[in-house]
Amino acid sequence: AAARDRFQKMDGGRMYVFSSRPRVVEDPWKPRWSPSERMQQKHGNIMRDPRVFRGIASSQPLKFAVSPVLFLYLSHNQSRRSKTGQEEMFSPPFGSHAESYLEELSDIPEVKETECQTDAFLDRPETPLFLAAKTGKDAATQIYEGDLFDFEEEVQPILEILVGKTLEQSLLEVMEEEELAALMAQQRAFLERRNNELPEVHRLEEQERRRREERVQQRRALEEEKEVAEKIAARALTQQQLADLVPSVLASLRREGYFYDPVERGEATHFFPRLMDDVESILQKNCRVRELLDGQTLCFICCSLWFGNLVCFWFSNLECGPCLRVVQTE
Amino acid sequence: MSRDSDAPPAPVAFGRWAVPLLAEQLRLPGRDVRLRALAALIDVLRQPLRGPEALTEGFLQQLKVLLEDEDPCVRAKVCQLLHVLAAHTCGRQALLAASFLPPLSQLLEDPPCRRTVFLLLSRLSLHSSGRVSLLTLLPKLMKKLQEEEEEEEDEVQVLFLSLLRCCFQADPEAALRSDAVALLAPKLSNGALNICKAAAAAMMALSVPMGGKVEVCDQKVLPAVAALLQEEDEEAQLNATGVIMFAAVTTAGKLQCLHLNVLPVLLKLACDRHEDEDMRRRRKPLVMNSVRGLTMLAETPEGRRLLQDQLPLLRRTSEEEEDVDIQRVFETAIQVVTFTP
Repeated sequence: AAARDRFQKMDGGRMYVFSSRPRVVEDPWKPRWSPSERMQQKHGNIMRDPRVFRGIASSQPLKFAVSPVLFLYLSHNQSRRSKTGQEEMFSPPFGSHAESYLEELSDIPEVKETECQTDAFLDRPETPLFLAAKTGKDAATQIYEGDLFDFEEEVQPILEILVGKTLEQSLLEVMEEEELAALMAQQRAFLERRNNELPEVHRLEEQERRRREERVQQRRALEEEKEVAEKIAARALTQQQLADLVPSVLASLRREGYFYDPVERGEATHFFPRLMDDVESILQKNCRVRELLDGQTLCFICCSLWFGNLVCFWFSNLECGPCLRVVQTE
Repeated sequence: MSRDSDAPPAPVAFGRWAVPLLAEQLRLPGRDVRLRALAALIDVLRQPLRGPEALTEGFLQQLKVLLEDEDPCVRAKVCQLLHVLAAHTCGRQALLAASFLPPLSQLLEDPPCRRTVFLLLSRLSLHSSGRVSLLTLLPKLMKKLQEEEEEEEDEVQVLFLSLLRCCFQADPEAALRSDAVALLAPKLSNGALNICKAAAAAMMALSVPMGGKVEVCDQKVLPAVAALLQEEDEEAQLNATGVIMFAAVTTAGKLQCLHLNVLPVLLKLACDRHEDEDMRRRRKPLVMNSVRGLTMLAETPEGRRLLQDQLPLLRRTSEEEEDVDIQRVFETAIQVVTFTP
């Protein structure tokens, strides 16, 4: 029967597969659709359905439409078996003739009998594990490579952060080093500039100093020369003047009387003063005498005059005053 | 000790609690705890924008206390932390205001911290107020120059000399009073080129005032400088020409330079033409220094005579030169050369 089914499927020469959902068969005696119970469909007993083949009461094998080749083969085999009673190699049916098309019909089906009985002395085997019959629908899922987790996508932000942070840190470190290097470069540049200008300044200063010193020296030399020249001129002049100094000095000294004769001087200093003193004393005596004499005379005149004045005074109240006044004045 | 300095840093809290919590840990007595907290702090504060978070008064005071800790690792780490802080301007200002210089100057003698302290001080000298404060360190630095040992690495010596240069630039008179020229002279003929370069730069800063020039001529520094001039390195040549340029202002300097036959070298440096734009820009200070040196030397009769022979070359170079400053300098030189009393 299995061989038969297989060959049936090869009808038309190509394989086909058909599957459909099991469907409830409608009960033909009931109306298909009733307005009250739309959803429920009463399914009747499927064996009572006239469309279902229930089998014939007799137990003859059924005859279905069979391909001619198969039919031939079957009938041929059957006829052979009934004759010899043992299997024989398959021989193409087309060699034999009409007799191979004959078929034996009988009422007695082929029956095989088997029986089974457990051994009386075997132990009771273990109860197999109870596995409940599977109910419900089978469901299956399968997660493929790129469904849940895509490495490329997920790794991107992490990589970005890692690389970014590393780059940032390294940039900052480089910037710090550059900062230090820039400071040092700035210092170096400043030093260079200083070294450019400074020696020139020093050189010019030194030049100035040298020139100033030279000038000072020159001035000093000039002054010395001038001094020397002046000294020479002065010396010449003085010499010239002093040339006739000596005779004039001698003349003036002589004139002043610094050159004297000692005897003369002795006489003059010692002798003459004494002489003169004596002369002077004598003369003084003379003078004194004369003075005394003069004095006496004067005294007398005065006394006489005084008496006269007294008399006049007495007579002043008289009219002869003016003539006495005249006498007085004489 | 290296094991301790590689200890894993302490766990860092998130956000703005990071620095305060680590600062708390610094107060704890354990040495390892402090080391780890310091390492974590260095990492946190090294991130670009988080440096200035730590600039609170209490934190800086605590660091100052830790600078005098007995453990050298702790001191070294604190110096590193200060170095990180000094990368920002506000950090530098805060450090200067909180008077970190005295404890730092004591750490100059400490071998593990020395290099970091020098780097830190060179960062502080980027400010003018920093340079002024560095002058207070000058006596100590001069003393260090005096008793310099030879085992120090070149890098530390170069840093030390550049620090000295900053101090000398700020106040050369004070340095001259402490006899800097005599102390610096041996370094010029030292083995390594870096040290010579740095010493020449310091000497250039010293020879700016008049007293310095006189001392440079007296102390017979110029032969070493002339030897440095022959080197191929550009910076060495730059520094050497700078020293010569300043020292040749005095008459004694001029005579010494002429004796040392410096004039042809300066001429070559000045008139050497390069086609590359970058090279020319880099060499500009060198050319200017050389021409100024030639100007100084041209004031002597002998120098003038020598340069009058080279006058066409000078004129040609001056005409070919595009840069205005260099042209001006060349013109001054030509003026001096053709000057007749």
